Amino acid sequence: MSAIGLKIPLPKSRHVLPGFGLSLGFTIFYLTSLVLIPLLALVLRPFELGLDGMWNAISTPRVMASLRLSFGMALAAAVIDSVFGFIIAWVLVRYRFPGKALLDAVIDLPFALPTAVAGIALSTLYAPTGWIGSILMEHGIKIAYTPWGVLVAMIFISLPFTVRTVQPVLSEIGRDMEEAAATLGATRLQSIGRVVLPMMLPAILTGAAMAFARAAGEYGSIIFIAGNIPAVSEIAPLLIVIKLEQYDYAGASAVGVVMLAASFIMLLALNGLQSWAAKRR
Amino acid sequence: MSKRLANPTEDPLWLKLTLGIIAVGFIAIMLLLPLVLVFKEALASGVKTFFSAIVEPDTLAAVKLSLLAAAIAVPLNTVFGIAAAWSIAKFDFRGKTFLVTLIDLPFSVSPVVAGLVYVLVFGMQGWLGPTLAGYDIRILFSLPGIVLATIFVTFPFVARELIPLMVDQGRDEEEAAATLGASGFQTFLRVTLPNIKWGLLYGILLCNARALGEFGAVSVLSGHIRGQTNTMPLHVQLLYDNYDYAGAFAVAALLAMLALLTLALKSFLEWRYADELAASHRH
Amino acid sequence: MSLVVDSVTKKFARFPALKGASFVAPQGAFVSLLGPSGSGKTTLLRILGGLEVADSGSVRFADLNWLDMPARTRNAGFVFQQYALFKHMTVADNIAFGLKVRPRDRRPSRADIAKRVTELLALVQLPGLEARYPSQLSGGQRQRVALARALAIDPRMLLLDEPFGALDAKVRKELRADLRRIHDHAGVTTVFVTHDQEEAFAVADLVAVMKDGRIEQYGAPQDVRRDPKTAFVSEFLSA
Repeated sequence: MSAIGLKIPLPKSRHVLPGFGLSLGFTIFYLTSLVLIPLLALVLRPFELGLDGMWNAISTPRVMASLRLSFGMALAAAVIDSVFGFIIAWVLVRYRFPGKALLDAVIDLPFALPTAVAGIALSTLYAPTGWIGSILMEHGIKIAYTPWGVLVAMIFISLPFTVRTVQPVLSEIGRDMEEAAATLGATRLQSIGRVVLPMMLPAILTGAAMAFARAAGEYGSIIFIAGNIPAVSEIAPLLIVIKLEQYDYAGASAVGVVMLAASFIMLLALNGLQSWAAKRR
Repeated sequence: MSKRLANPTEDPLWLKLTLGIIAVGFIAIMLLLPLVLVFKEALASGVKTFFSAIVEPDTLAAVKLSLLAAAIAVPLNTVFGIAAAWSIAKFDFRGKTFLVTLIDLPFSVSPVVAGLVYVLVFGMQGWLGPTLAGYDIRILFSLPGIVLATIFVTFPFVARELIPLMVDQGRDEEEAAATLGASGFQTFLRVTLPNIKWGLLYGILLCNARALGEFGAVSVLSGHIRGQTNTMPLHVQLLYDNYDYAGAFAVAALLAMLALLTLALKSFLEWRYADELAASHRH
Repeated sequence: MSLVVDSVTKKFARFPALKGASFVAPQGAFVSLLGPSGSGKTTLLRILGGLEVADSGSVRFADLNWLDMPARTRNAGFVFQQYALFKHMTVADNIAFGLKVRPRDRRPSRADIAKRVTELLALVQLPGLEARYPSQLSGGQRQRVALARALAIDPRMLLLDEPFGALDAKVRKELRADLRRIHDHAGVTTVFVTHDQEEAFAVADLVAVMKDGRIEQYGAPQDVRRDPKTAFVSEFLSA
């Protein structure tokens, strides 16, 4: 071949397909400039207060209360949504009835609806004059402008996560194992409790973790219905916004770092859950 | 036979009814009622008031700003999503899991934190703020800031959709194209793109919906200046805080209609193109 | 204590899976339901196991109106084609399951249960695998565990739905020899579904050749082979 003088180009890279450098390069550039560097700015900022200053910034009663509220209510919302989410997934997977497809689509509403819209709707709904709020007022229960408003908004916003993580796993399981359990003498309750639920545990926990993470960081759907009273019904994200408006960048970053750390831990937990689930297959 | 027995894996009727009522009731009260309320409030003062609230100049300005921010953020994030999915699906390299985790990060971070990080970079007390101010470039409290915030919170969507899809589809076809002499772009345009088109559309749909609806991150970076730096969600807040409930719910109804449209398109794509969407969508 | 199956029918939506199946087997017999897919053999087996409800017909076994009893009271061990092992439980827990879910008064002690598990694992030739998980076992091993699990409840009847279908030829031969040995040892009435006539003939005392929801011929393997009553039967057996 070389006698004809053809130049055979040597492969420049060990990759078979073209475009590796370009695609990965662009990806890394985009991620670095838009995500990594700004996050770095956040992580470094509190340090200008020094470690003591950071701790002081975080341990004020107001900040601690907001963190307790955000994380505490998010946990409660995650638990509530896990229970109802499981029931909803069960009904959607196991039962047949007209309109099921529509019900299935509606689950994604909190996902698709802008948070501000959800915020004003929930606020109006649960206000003392609202459709639900007025009914509850008759029984002496106040939701809007109290910490319970935070919970209700979080339940709304996180529901899709608990349903959508459980649903596919439930439909994948099929009925084999329950049939086996029945032939071995188990009652329906024993079947569900000893066979189905344990198998669903990774999925349920994953859904709960995602619900928690979303609810803890939620802002738009909560600030209208919560009272936003400092140390009572003020969520952590709102506190960050307030501190920014006061030009307390370092203080805002301190709270922001706590929230970021929580997100990170949640991500790691979720990854751990995925690999645990994969091992059991 | 004297008794009519049920299948051992069927739930008894009383349980089906109970769970069914709980499920439907929960969805109706928690999810549907707020939605219904939005439209009811929007039309409470009559259809005329509704329309006049929409065509009000500040509202139109907010709509324009939302559309503009989305028009910039969505294409950029689409290109990013394609690049990221291409590099992850078609090549082997170390650090893939780290990369994927990083891509997932904005998804799990609070929107306020998303806005905060840009304030820390571009604000006057931030890293680049003073420098840029010297060149008369304002990022915060104007369009660039809003666009940046929108990009941050929406960029995982296309990538998250394409990555599992393209990984699932493998490399065979692209390798065949390479052996036949196609360049990278040709391969992508003629071989990959047709295979991912529905997944891509799905990702863009979700990206766009989030871009138009984002509130927290944009709120931090906007100046909340009526008629200038308010996107639609921010405008809703402004109207609501000023007790203009008819106006607030009118704009909210617009956004809600957009959300319903997104849901309808999403369901349609999931139903019709289940196989061409990521494995996770196959019900 | 013979098993009397009388005119059992079953329809799924419009599709008639079983159009009236009848046969009689003496106590302790090893019966094979043999036929191509769609012949109704699995449906009949599942009806015997209580996993499907027959539309009409009757089954008497051990002096009981079999079809009136729910699956969990029949004490009919069922071995599934895809094993249906409980993935989140160890081998020991899988096998012990039928004993653990018994009501208090009939439940053996923990020590007894553990002893039984060890015995059964020895019986299916998998000694020492108590602590493994199903995902760590080969297909053949999983099916042995499934068999042990079904045997743990001291079944009156053993039902197997193409249990070796997913396994390779060598493993199939070993397993069916073991199955026959276990059957002979336990004396339990066994019904075994397969589409493989070599398998059916090697292992069963009585063979029911099925087609389109009916039993075309029923009898001892040698008799059926020597004297096929219909064209289908002779074709199916010579294939």
